[in-house]
Amino acid sequence: MSNKLSSSLPTDREVVLGILNNSDDALNKLYVGYFPMILQFILSNNGDEDDAKDVYQEAIIVLYNKIKSGDFELSSKLKTYIYSVCRRIWLKKLSKESKKAINVADFEDIEAVDTDMEALEEKDQQFEKMKSSLDLLGEPCKTIIQDFYINNLSMQEISEKFGYTNTDNAKTQKYKCLQRLKKLFFQA
Amino acid sequence: MRNELELDAIIEDFLNGKLTQEERKAFEQLRANDPAVDHKVVTHQFFLDSMKKYGDTLSLKDKMNAIHATIDVESLSDKLKPHPSYIVNLWRNNRSAFAVAASFLLLAMVSIYSIQHNTKQNGSYEVMSRELVKIKNSQNNLIRNINNSKLEKVPVNPAKFGGTGFALTSNGYLCTNLHVINGADSVHVQNANGESFKAKVVYQDPQYDLAILKIVDKNFVELSSLPYKINKGNIGMGEDVFTLGFPKDDAVLGEGYVSSKTGHAGDTTAYQVSIPVNPGNSGGPLLDNRGNVIGVINAKEYQVDGAAFAVKSKYILEALNAIPQDSLGKKVVLKKSPLVGLNRTKQLDMIQDYVFMIKVYN
Repeated sequence: MSNKLSSSLPTDREVVLGILNNSDDALNKLYVGYFPMILQFILSNNGDEDDAKDVYQEAIIVLYNKIKSGDFELSSKLKTYIYSVCRRIWLKKLSKESKKAINVADFEDIEAVDTDMEALEEKDQQFEKMKSSLDLLGEPCKTIIQDFYINNLSMQEISEKFGYTNTDNAKTQKYKCLQRLKKLFFQA
Repeated sequence: MRNELELDAIIEDFLNGKLTQEERKAFEQLRANDPAVDHKVVTHQFFLDSMKKYGDTLSLKDKMNAIHATIDVESLSDKLKPHPSYIVNLWRNNRSAFAVAASFLLLAMVSIYSIQHNTKQNGSYEVMSRELVKIKNSQNNLIRNINNSKLEKVPVNPAKFGGTGFALTSNGYLCTNLHVINGADSVHVQNANGESFKAKVVYQDPQYDLAILKIVDKNFVELSSLPYKINKGNIGMGEDVFTLGFPKDDAVLGEGYVSSKTGHAGDTTAYQVSIPVNPGNSGGPLLDNRGNVIGVINAKEYQVDGAAFAVKSKYILEALNAIPQDSLGKKVVLKKSPLVGLNRTKQLDMIQDYVFMIKVYN
């Protein structure tokens, strides 16, 4: 089995409630608590620390989305779930690289997480699409859009930040940016 | 272009629920009438959702990166990365299997141990002769002996070993265990009143660990006829039995029952008896409630409580056959033991004159 995990493992219930309440503390405990397990898994299966970080963060995102979507029923322990998801992600990455079936050395019990993985891939694609669209959009459009839609700044604040003489100009600029972004996003 | 912008703003407000009641109604009217507007609403909704998810994921990643920065990954990976040694890896990967195997092994060992030591009585065998506590030859005693020469002659040597014996005939033939008197220079017997008589060994039977002594002391007065007889046959399991012996300087009663028809390690010449016995009980008679001698206590299981052994009485009769019949004196055949029907105290009163402490000097 894995080496002893850090002693401050949160309870499964604590984590689920924490995520539903957007608690940063719960995320912190979750992240720190289970990272060593995944690090050990990846290191023992031809990966390095960065691989572990990527895989682990992806798994946490899967867990987040699952909990947030409300259909989260923990059929086994959270630990097993995280481990299984990471294992699947890592297997996928390994097989992409070498294009053949690979055996990994296991440290924990595993469970089937196929449906979650499909959802993850879909989300992943959308995320990448949005990311590349925004990158293609270029500045200042990218920042204006992000400020408005993600950081929830008002048009007033945005026009001040970018030095527009009035909010109408800012609105026009945002409109143009948005049209281009939508085009990029839906075309890609 | 201006109109497009306005429309876009309205759609966004609509989706964010910022329109007033009337505006909302008007817009829904417009949407129902104009498929182009409706399409715009749907795509914008999808876009906004994607954007929101993108934002959420982005912020989650930021948070995780911040947390990740607080973890000392290097030292952790030093601790967790696969050890270069094959054995350590094997241990880490199969720790649970090892644990199961180890506990199974432990369990098996414990079971075997307990079976060997408790279930089956084949422990070592301990004969019940008593090493008498060495009486100190104190200076005082010697002085008194010198001053008080009237005193009865006492053996200068204290006895080394002791056991128990019981009368087979009224003229002084006694039965005891061979191991009690084995290697003796001289044997004395002492009766319940503390009188000591010299005895000699007339028969030894190493096969059944039996010995027959004869009191050869001129002070010895013949006993009245024996209150018990020697049982010829076998006796059943569960029979209540008692013994009288000398684990200390006074007679001690032990009561119990026959717990097995065979003795140590299936020895068919002996019974197993559940009775408390101690060193010094060797050679004592084992009697049933009807006053029959059914055996001679000779040993107990080492480190096992309540498992003593007694040589079966028919071997006493065999031993007696080796002695010339006429020297055994008048043979009184008891029809019925006078002990029958008496309570234990009365029985013991009658028996105790016939049970002797054997003192061995060498």
